[in-house]
Amino acid sequence: MAEQSGAQNAWDMLSDEQSQKHITTGAGDLNDILGGGIHCKEVTEIGGVPGVGKTQLGIQLAINVQIPVEYGGLGGKAVYIDTEGSFMVERVYQIAEGCIRDILEHFPHSHEKSSSGKKQLQPEHFLADIYYFRICSYTEQIAVINYLEKFLGEHKDVRIVIIDSVTFHFRQDFEDLALRTRVLSGLSLKLMKIAKTYNLAVVLLNQVTTKFTEGSFQLTLALGDSWSHSCTNRLILYWNGNERCAHLDKSPSLPVASAPYAVTGKGIRDAVSPNHKRARVT
Amino acid sequence: MAAAGGGGGSGGGGTTSGCGLKRRYAPRDQEEETMNQDQPSKEDWCGRIWNGMDLLKDATENKHVLPTGLEGIDTLLGGGLRQGQLTEVTGPSSSGKTQVCLHSASHAAVKHMGVVMYLDTSNSFSPSRIATIIDGTNLSDQRGFDLPPKERLKTLMKSIICESVFDIFGMFDILHQLEVSLLSDKVKSGGKKICLLIIDSISSLLAPIIGGKYPQGRSMMISVAMILKKLAYEHNLSVLVTNHMVSAGNGAVKPALGESWKAVPHVRLVISREHDSNICTATVLKHTQLASGRTTKFVIPS
Repeated sequence: MAEQSGAQNAWDMLSDEQSQKHITTGAGDLNDILGGGIHCKEVTEIGGVPGVGKTQLGIQLAINVQIPVEYGGLGGKAVYIDTEGSFMVERVYQIAEGCIRDILEHFPHSHEKSSSGKKQLQPEHFLADIYYFRICSYTEQIAVINYLEKFLGEHKDVRIVIIDSVTFHFRQDFEDLALRTRVLSGLSLKLMKIAKTYNLAVVLLNQVTTKFTEGSFQLTLALGDSWSHSCTNRLILYWNGNERCAHLDKSPSLPVASAPYAVTGKGIRDAVSPNHKRARVT
Repeated sequence: MAAAGGGGGSGGGGTTSGCGLKRRYAPRDQEEETMNQDQPSKEDWCGRIWNGMDLLKDATENKHVLPTGLEGIDTLLGGGLRQGQLTEVTGPSSSGKTQVCLHSASHAAVKHMGVVMYLDTSNSFSPSRIATIIDGTNLSDQRGFDLPPKERLKTLMKSIICESVFDIFGMFDILHQLEVSLLSDKVKSGGKKICLLIIDSISSLLAPIIGGKYPQGRSMMISVAMILKKLAYEHNLSVLVTNHMVSAGNGAVKPALGESWKAVPHVRLVISREHDSNICTATVLKHTQLASGRTTKFVIPS
């Protein structure tokens, strides 16, 4: 059969996939359950209760995507779409500093030999390479996602788009639920498209809501059942006692798994508790 | 189709190979015998009158059953995905729909020597998963058995073609191109033929356009359905689509796309997965040959 434009056979896709680098989350255990980190060309939804560290993880990813190629990173830029106003720039600076300190620890010799590399490793540079959009209504959110395609065409070095959170405005102001479903599924296809076209990771942060099933109220991600199909991977952050945990709930290629992580002054890191085994908690 | 085939078996048993075939154009009558050996070609699809025996012959010769490789599902569907038919798999998020698709694609490549076309709307086609599944299939009595594993994997994976689709118009484009290339490929003989078309998922393309005041979305849905069934029937493709589950109120869920889509698939299967396990439950909602309502459990190999 003649191959159409845009079609690829699975063998070529496999070698493409194997040459892809993933965006590290900062925590080794978390990277393990994600198959190395957040994958480009995929849409990853991260959900969890308030305070569990969604925004922290979002900021961490916006910083980590910029780790230069010579230090094992992607050396890309980040787009951060903030709908809730929770992007605290002082905290971003702190996380960038933490990230740089970790890089220098890992590569103790490299910063002496290349002065240009050292120049790059400044928190100011990390901050300058985050494109930040502050969104105050769902109309703006729709507009920005529509605009992204053009923006990314002009900024090919962007490797991650983070939306924190995709839910906020759609939970408050939308009355026609059927219309909301249509709008959201359209947005989700657009995000899928930019992830594939520009070879970047799309990370959607989502809030939780309660749902009445089987006689009890359970926490599920917001925006309903039809939205739940709109991501490639889903990671749920939750509290296991006093420990933060992440649970990979959906993935086409990886098994369901959980791992602990911690939010430290430097950002997202491995949990330091003696319990290094992966806890399986429902 | 099965019912017609069954009727032909008892009624048309005595006829010759010509089967009393009537063609609209008299001069072509002499060609009857040669034409009859082929499957219906493009120019006679409107002129040909089929009887039960023709259908039965077509069904046994051209409409094979492609195993999905997932034991429970294959038993439930009487062997797997029938060529010429449209099979729908529906289920909640992360219930295993994509896994069923990936398994079907791998097994069609391994067992049926065919080309698989995989249309992906949610960036969830995972080549590494395909490689794992192919590696896990039984090596004996399959094609490429004599090849070293790496070469075998390469040949098989090259026969799975994936394309991303992000809106309904892109879908129409691809399906039309596919039809054109299928028609031109028929002229050339030999080479591998496409046997399975997978769309994961059809509902994510249709969700943004269905509903609201205007009927265009619904008519596009029916157009897609017609094209898919036509491709399936004329080119002996097995078509596998996935559909989402949406809330039906009071906490229950139902397949998306509404009442008019219900009539489209030949076979509807709903699957669900137990929390934190790889054991899935499949239920037949609709089947053209077998009883519906049957349920089975199957395991998605890790």
